Amino acid sequence: MRIIGRLCDLSFCDLHNIQKKVNKTLEIVKKKSIINPCETNKKQRRTKMDKKALIELIDVTKTYDGENVVDHLNLTIYENEFVTLLGPSGCGKTTTLRMIGGFVQPDEGKIIINGKVFNDLPPYARPIHTVFQRYALFPHLSVFENVAFGLRNRTYDYLSHFFGVLEEKSDSSKKSKRDHHKLLNTMIDSAVRDALALVKLKGFENRKVDQISGGQQQRVALARALVNKPQILLLDEPLAALDLKLRQNMQYELKEMQRKLGITFIFVTHDQEEAMTMSDRIVVMKDGVIQQLGTPKSVYNEPVNRYVANFIGETNIFPGTYIKKDLVHFMGADFKCTGYTFEDGEQVEVVIRPEDFDVVDLEKAKLQGIVTFSLFKGVHNELDVKIGDVSIMVNTYETYEVGEPIGLTVDPYEIHIMKVESDGEVV
Amino acid sequence: MGKSFKILAIPYQVWLSVLVFIPLVAMVVISVTNLNSTVTLSELQFTMEHWVLLTQRPTLIAFRNSLIYAGSTTLISFVLGYFVAYQIFRLRIKNKFIVLTIVILPMWSNLILRTEALLNIFSENNILKSIMGFSLFGNIAGTPTAVLIGLVFTYMPFMILPIYTALEKIDYALEEAALDLGLTPMQSFWKVVFPLSFRGVVTGSILVFLPTMAGFAIPKILSKGRIIFIGNIIDTKFIYTNYNSGALLAVILLIFILGSILLMTRFDKEGETLL
Repeated sequence: MRIIGRLCDLSFCDLHNIQKKVNKTLEIVKKKSIINPCETNKKQRRTKMDKKALIELIDVTKTYDGENVVDHLNLTIYENEFVTLLGPSGCGKTTTLRMIGGFVQPDEGKIIINGKVFNDLPPYARPIHTVFQRYALFPHLSVFENVAFGLRNRTYDYLSHFFGVLEEKSDSSKKSKRDHHKLLNTMIDSAVRDALALVKLKGFENRKVDQISGGQQQRVALARALVNKPQILLLDEPLAALDLKLRQNMQYELKEMQRKLGITFIFVTHDQEEAMTMSDRIVVMKDGVIQQLGTPKSVYNEPVNRYVANFIGETNIFPGTYIKKDLVHFMGADFKCTGYTFEDGEQVEVVIRPEDFDVVDLEKAKLQGIVTFSLFKGVHNELDVKIGDVSIMVNTYETYEVGEPIGLTVDPYEIHIMKVESDGEVV
Repeated sequence: MGKSFKILAIPYQVWLSVLVFIPLVAMVVISVTNLNSTVTLSELQFTMEHWVLLTQRPTLIAFRNSLIYAGSTTLISFVLGYFVAYQIFRLRIKNKFIVLTIVILPMWSNLILRTEALLNIFSENNILKSIMGFSLFGNIAGTPTAVLIGLVFTYMPFMILPIYTALEKIDYALEEAALDLGLTPMQSFWKVVFPLSFRGVVTGSILVFLPTMAGFAIPKILSKGRIIFIGNIIDTKFIYTNYNSGALLAVILLIFILGSILLMTRFDKEGETLL
């Protein structure tokens, strides 16, 4: 639809020759609009099972100074997916992103995009664009020129294919060539204007990039990448420099944009909340190794180890024993659980999120403790409860005074059980 | 603190007004009056009769020489200097200060000494010949080539340093962004790196152009007095106590300098490339 709108604008210009070509392209575009990105996106989401793999990282390793920053990483990313690489700084997430973008060559392994090995392809030959951490806008160019930069520096051949307006072979006279180039240039202009409208920056075309706010710079960086219609958009902590309110707004907008445009977004962040809000899938990384890969829900509710449990949200972890099927013992009491299979009597770790504790009358409670700290957080209260000599975190809607006794219990389906990590590592 | 700093600044302010500002005014006054050693202040009169100097052939030739040599020196220094600055910028060595020191090393020896040494190397029987048995240059002393080589040799560091400074200030992410947007490394140099280093080029050009145009020692020595710059004429005028003409030519040079400074402030407002 956007393309047609752009062409309608175009047809108002009084260049007759261009008009003719525009009509022709309009027909082509009309045919094409049957496979409009918005609609294909919906269609593909309906048939989620047969997704096409877009990027495959196979055994990818990158070593700096003898240390594996990315260590035999295997990852498949599908079309129209919003994937977040999540982890603390130094976990290899940015290096992974830079290898996909082509700025860093992997030492081992293969990077396959669209079924082709991309290892040695330079960045400019990849159907990938990046939104950089500090935006990397060109300070010597206006907002408009920044967004137009990618297209302006392409060959006319490339642009003809890009816009789907092929030159007629029959009349290759100089004049028609010039008209064709003129057409392409007007198409670049309107593509840039569309991109700026998409990121809500209409009217800022002639501003210098240092005359706009951080949030606006971020939008320019986004428009500059999106105008090239990449198959894959890489985002390297693009929201890190924005204030909280703006960051939350951008999170929704980014997610919306990704859904609308049907582009694969690969997002890098150390902010677990950001990852939760936007992602279809989250890749939790540590020391160059993927710890867990899954939907935000599964990563949150069923962390595979202590590290993931701690990194994603607040949590309580207890040592326990898996007594028999659907029964686990921890904190001196037996709890019913569901859905886990371990050996009877095996030592396990039990994860319970603060909001999953239910506060009950003392006589019904499995755990009894004393409130040692209470903090009002708006919607809920955050309590520290001391049970014996263990302090646990509990979120509740009720208010409790410090020193008050409190009874707690947990529903079976809220109990998550993990294997004890073999190397006994404490995170 | 502020007060004592103010007091400490006074010596320089005095120096500036006594030795720079007053002579400057005097120079302008002398250039448009008949004031000289035989005329007393009471006989001071406005006159522009020595301005006829500006139409005389030797003066015009000297101006032409100054401009042409300064222009070509600037151009050659720019082309060669940009490569050097870019190479230093791209070096993987951590301590680039050492490399820059090597660049400005020639400045550690006296200008006249260096120029005389160059004259010797450019002459028929030179030091290289007596040491190695052959010379790289042959007998070019007194030719325009010798003067040009001398000028470029002397002033190129002034071109390299500001360009290097400008290059260092370019965020590497910008080059990555250009590559990411589909530009080849060559394209990204011309579209991103070069435009952003341009103010360094402007500063460097002015730092090379002005002293070359106003200088007189290098052309005098290396051309053996055959090529006259405007500086040489000013030199002669003052030696023969023709202060009015000398001052007049100096004022003309001053106009060039002011023009250059205006040009520089347009490209590099904060003077960032000078640091």
